[in-house]
Amino acid sequence: MTLIRFRPLLAAAALLVLAAAQKAPPPRWWSPGEGRSFPATLDYANEHGTQRSLLVGGPMPTKGHPFFEPIGPNGRACVTCHQPADGMSLSAATARQRWDETRGRDPLFAASDGSNCPSLPQSEKASHSLLLERGLIRIQRPWPVREWQGKPVTPDFTIDVVRDPNGCNSGEKYGPKAGNVSVYRRPRPVSNFKYLLAVGFAYDPKQGIALPRDPDSGAMQSGNLMADNRARNLREQMEDASSTHLEFAKHLTPAQIDRITDFEMRLYTAQQVSKQGGALDSGGATGGPAKLRDSEPGALGSIGTPVWSEYAAWEKISSEDAAKLTPEQLAFRQSVARGARTFRDKTFLITDSSGINSPVGFGNPVRNSCVFCHNMAQMGNDVAPGQVDLGTTTLPYADPFDDLPLFRITCLKAPHPFYGRTFYTYDPGFALTTGRCADAGKITLQSMRGLAARAPYFSNGLAKDLRAVVDYYERRYNISYTEREKQDLVNLMSVL
Amino acid sequence: MKNLSKLSTLIALAAPLSAFAAETGDYVRFVSCPVYRDADSGKKSGCWLADERASGKRYDVSQSPYKPDWNRAVLVEGLVTADSTAPCGSTVLNPVRTSILSEPCQRHMLPAEGHPGRKFVLPARNLTPLSVPRKPPAGPFAARTFPVFFEFDRAFVVYQYSDFLLDNAAQWIIAAKPAKVVVTGYAATDPESVSGVTLAERPEVALERAEIVAESLRRLIPGLIIETRMKTGAKPADLPDADGLPGQSQRRAEISAEF
Repeated sequence: MTLIRFRPLLAAAALLVLAAAQKAPPPRWWSPGEGRSFPATLDYANEHGTQRSLLVGGPMPTKGHPFFEPIGPNGRACVTCHQPADGMSLSAATARQRWDETRGRDPLFAASDGSNCPSLPQSEKASHSLLLERGLIRIQRPWPVREWQGKPVTPDFTIDVVRDPNGCNSGEKYGPKAGNVSVYRRPRPVSNFKYLLAVGFAYDPKQGIALPRDPDSGAMQSGNLMADNRARNLREQMEDASSTHLEFAKHLTPAQIDRITDFEMRLYTAQQVSKQGGALDSGGATGGPAKLRDSEPGALGSIGTPVWSEYAAWEKISSEDAAKLTPEQLAFRQSVARGARTFRDKTFLITDSSGINSPVGFGNPVRNSCVFCHNMAQMGNDVAPGQVDLGTTTLPYADPFDDLPLFRITCLKAPHPFYGRTFYTYDPGFALTTGRCADAGKITLQSMRGLAARAPYFSNGLAKDLRAVVDYYERRYNISYTEREKQDLVNLMSVL
Repeated sequence: MKNLSKLSTLIALAAPLSAFAAETGDYVRFVSCPVYRDADSGKKSGCWLADERASGKRYDVSQSPYKPDWNRAVLVEGLVTADSTAPCGSTVLNPVRTSILSEPCQRHMLPAEGHPGRKFVLPARNLTPLSVPRKPPAGPFAARTFPVFFEFDRAFVVYQYSDFLLDNAAQWIIAAKPAKVVVTGYAATDPESVSGVTLAERPEVALERAEIVAESLRRLIPGLIIETRMKTGAKPADLPDADGLPGQSQRRAEISAEF
């Protein structure tokens, strides 16, 4: 009797549970080897809204897939540091959450590079502070540089360790005297590779030479793969990552490389929904990853589709459309559109930045805007190989960090064009690949997509949030952004 | 008597370089510290100025394909124009080249002071994106030489000038399929006194120029047979893409296709 009376309620409750189960977001953390399927559309919430990854041709089983399987002894997989919920990178917040959930036992915190230095006591949280506070992974580069692009190299600078707070640049095993240099960098997002591998022109204007060829395919290299451009193609990037981050002692097989490449080339990631602005592909805007999937890569925005014109329709929202929005949504959309304009049109004097002011021929200073370097349509990376020195890793422009090693660079031939004969850096960047003093401090520009999900920013995590990115540029180049322009830029970056 | 006549001609030619104000069409060559005028007409619109100390004349040198660094001295080479608009507030040199030298300068920036500067215009010598189909050069093909030009004492292939010339050569070579290419780097190693400064390029920059051009050709045209050579003591040559500037014509590499 009672059951019969409550039958409709029970049925409704069951439907609600079912609906909730269907709409429940997938677990945020992807553990290596867990074997779930990577769906064709994968959404994750972040503080600015929802980010979406599209897998063309998906879904894809990850069981046995080398991107998702722990192929090395430390229990990590590629996905450990390239998490779908974090724009295929890894946010510092996620690292902290993972520490708390596993009490530091997740393979993410492997001694080799998930701690400040393997020589530190690994059970202590402080030994992993760089990863937990700024999302930094230790990168150990050989020193001296001996070869680049298949040619022998003799560095034209010396490197001395001024300060080694973590112990990974001194002693018998670590540091220049032991044949290596440890720097600390953010994992770069593994998505939208169609754009990062695209080649717009046959020449590298920053190096004054035609682009080198991919050693495998013979195609021209984009030069936009890694922070210091050490990998010539995805294969070399994978081999570098598997031997260091996964501690994989063997070589990846051609079949494994093909499978990882296939996955990476099919994946597109971008913010899809803004908490404040609503759906980013509505009201005439074309935000979100579908536009990335459907566009041709490698186009210079200045001679084709302007960079961030995905939001051009929000410049003039009709009164009819405006009536469908809340006042907050309307204001946010207008702000994003202004931000795109500011990004393209607000010029300032770019000074003393190698890769821009030298040796290209633009002069020092040169007046231009953000889009001068962030010039590829749809992506905001550089159409040319993007090695430039914004000062984020090098004094006097870099912020003071007492937890990073500090190196003294001494140029043995010509002085650095802007820093002189001797200068100080936390990360020599591209110079650790080329061996050239003039390249010290240069870091490859990266994709601007998916920023909302992967704080902090810049290669060393200098900017804790999007506002800090704008603030860095403001103090580096004395741009005189208004408060509204700063917020417009933050809002723009939150929807990319 | 004949020698005296030659000498007087040389003196007449040299006169505009020092004591007297240059006139339209004159070639001026001097070393100075550059001054940046922040005339904001948008991207890449700032003005570059340089004073010829001997004459006290300030020139607008903004139209050089390779621009100054306000921290360093600059070698200016250019032709005085009759441009009366003076968008940067000074007599315009065009064509003009501004080579960055190693001597430090006090950086100096002027406000616009009402001068509009120039809105950026894409230079005529600019590379075509790879996405744009190109019509291959038409034959018949015979031995030909392509020059590529450089800044003073440097071997850097400058964006939207030297790269354009190099790329034209490469496209022609791809179509012409020569048996061999010889790249000869030149250096202006004979010392010259300019504004009281003795200037001479390093002899080794000749080979550096040949090598950088050859490496680009190897990357653009895999399998191409290339030989590099060097020549010091380069003399001015009549080469159209040097834009009538003798100093620029000396600082070059030549790509010679042999059949």
